[in-house]
Amino acid sequence: MDRRSFLGLTAGAGVTLLAGSACGAGGGDTGSSGDATTLNLLCEGGGKVELQPVVDAYKKATGISVNLVELPYDGLFNRLTSELSSGRPSFDICAVDAVWLPLFATKLAGIDQLFTDAVKADLFPALVREANVDGKFIGMPVWTNAEVLLYRKDLFEDPAERSAFQDKYGYPLAPPKDWQQFTDVAKFFTRPDRKLYGTDVKGAVETEWLAHVLQAGSPGVVLDDAGKVIVDNPGHLAALTFYADLANKHKVNPAGPQQTDWNAAQNLFNQGSTAMTRFWAHAYRQIPKDAAVAGKVGVAPMIGGTAGVAGIPGPWYLSLPQGGAKQTEAVKFIQACYDDNALSLTSTLGLAARKSAYQQYTSQAGYEAFGPLLTTLDAPATRTRPATPHWQRIVDDALIPTLQKSLLPGANYAALLKDARAKIEGIIT
Amino acid sequence: MKRALLWTVAGLVVLVYAFPFVYLVLTSLKPPVDAIAVPPTVLPQRFSLDNYRTALAREGVADSFLNSVSTAAITTVLSLALAVPAAWGITRYRTRAGRVLLAGSLLVRMTPAVAIGVPLMGIMGGLRLSDTPTGLALAQTTIALPLAIWLLASFFESVPREIEEAALVDGCSRPAALWRVILPVTSGGLAVTGIFAFLASWNEFLFALLLTSLRAQTTPLAIANLQTQFGLDWGPMTALATLYSLPAVVLTLLLQRRIVAGLSLGAVKG
Repeated sequence: MDRRSFLGLTAGAGVTLLAGSACGAGGGDTGSSGDATTLNLLCEGGGKVELQPVVDAYKKATGISVNLVELPYDGLFNRLTSELSSGRPSFDICAVDAVWLPLFATKLAGIDQLFTDAVKADLFPALVREANVDGKFIGMPVWTNAEVLLYRKDLFEDPAERSAFQDKYGYPLAPPKDWQQFTDVAKFFTRPDRKLYGTDVKGAVETEWLAHVLQAGSPGVVLDDAGKVIVDNPGHLAALTFYADLANKHKVNPAGPQQTDWNAAQNLFNQGSTAMTRFWAHAYRQIPKDAAVAGKVGVAPMIGGTAGVAGIPGPWYLSLPQGGAKQTEAVKFIQACYDDNALSLTSTLGLAARKSAYQQYTSQAGYEAFGPLLTTLDAPATRTRPATPHWQRIVDDALIPTLQKSLLPGANYAALLKDARAKIEGIIT
Repeated sequence: MKRALLWTVAGLVVLVYAFPFVYLVLTSLKPPVDAIAVPPTVLPQRFSLDNYRTALAREGVADSFLNSVSTAAITTVLSLALAVPAAWGITRYRTRAGRVLLAGSLLVRMTPAVAIGVPLMGIMGGLRLSDTPTGLALAQTTIALPLAIWLLASFFESVPREIEEAALVDGCSRPAALWRVILPVTSGGLAVTGIFAFLASWNEFLFALLLTSLRAQTTPLAIANLQTQFGLDWGPMTALATLYSLPAVVLTLLLQRRIVAGLSLGAVKG
């Protein structure tokens, strides 16, 4: 074969290959706008895992396929922002993080018809409140989460440790229920020479501090129900003092609290470097089998302050874009997601939104986190984050910097909260 | 002595630049638990291919590789096919319109991709090219083409006019002179331009995020999908990133001589 023929053959093969792949190698068909047997649902990786069992059951029952289009978390936000503002969304349903709901509220269709009294009664009150923006229900909660207390059972049940703790603090060693007990236990287990610390202090994420704010009896986090900035009220100050003092005064955490985020805290606990962690409940089922703490972890409700136990729920909602071509079919699927909500509990993340779904599993092995999760979510002081479209900016520009500055030696917590107040007022006005 | 110093400095520079990639590869070879250890270690205590197994077993990963290959191939072919006549016309005819086109292509290059991403979504939807490698490649060509035109214009400038004129005297038409004489002479430059166009598509993320859904997702998106609200799958992420960087590394090494030749070809002409 001469050079020219070879080049021609190669080019022909290349063109054929490109033509063959021009439609895309990924499975499924995104369906045309009039095709009622296919729905497209935009979600992030965690949502795909959660929704897949429901999608499979729905396909079996109705013959309708639901394509779960997986996007990274930040990418999902960007895509939703772009498509909803363009007015020509390529999807029929979207999974929306709770903090995005107010931002997208004007672009999402109402689904009031799904929120019957029975439905509302089986959802956590905080979620029902959050789903309603400006008098209209715009999202059905499909899974939610909250921080609980994960602790090392092997340490807590060790007779020598129990005896030593009793001698030192005058009460039995047990999973802590309030701030004082938490501080005592964290101090007790902090043994830097053995690379063991009482707990972590997460300076790179704000949710945990905000949970403590609610435990301290604040009527809300950052903003009150009227939208007034309350970030420097006594509840916020008490919570920040408790939170930052764990690192500054008691030194019960590994180095680098300013940079410690969810991933770092989870890894520290799983590798046995911390005796306790306040963490999202799903983490219990995600402890790797070869982790140092595998099989040695207990779960308790989130600790409480003067207002008792409280957490910040982390729900996701299913919503419809306004003017979508397949709204009737999409609403039916969202109804199915509510009806079959318990199916999501069998996924690797194992989260749901209905109380009854969680209750079915509380006594089953492997689902020990559900009882504490229910207790935390149902606690009277538990509240969602404020419904403001500025939330992400408030977090990035005010809350995280405040938290990180509070973890520097000699920090003046009250002054930091005053500065945060000024910054947040500048953002929301 | 001077030579040893030069090698030492060069070695240090290479180390600084190569460290992130070396760390990525080493992390991908650690067992999953070691990959997420806090604080992290550079060298693996134990070696494991578990991260690779997990990454490759994920739904959609193999498809995303195919999509990346086809999208990058279409983008490269399209960029070269459009840039060669454009750059050749600009350098040979030296018209005012040509200069404006050259400056204009630079302006397009300076436009943030996000500014054209949303309009492109509408255009691709209208053309029914949403969620296809072809649609994505068309979008990515808007990034690769201006650079390709600039690079090729510089390479064509360095070819003496006499070569083309000799071809015309020998009976070639202008297109035939371009095809049979100029392009072989500037093959190094073509290789460089092709690689840049390929890499522009291979590493592109934003358009892939906005313009693909189910069928045409590329690997950069598949890698990013490993970070969810519920955690970061660090081990498989490093494994997938390592695998994905291999074709670009191999391609660059294979064409290294041509790239160097091409770069110097563009540099000799003032």
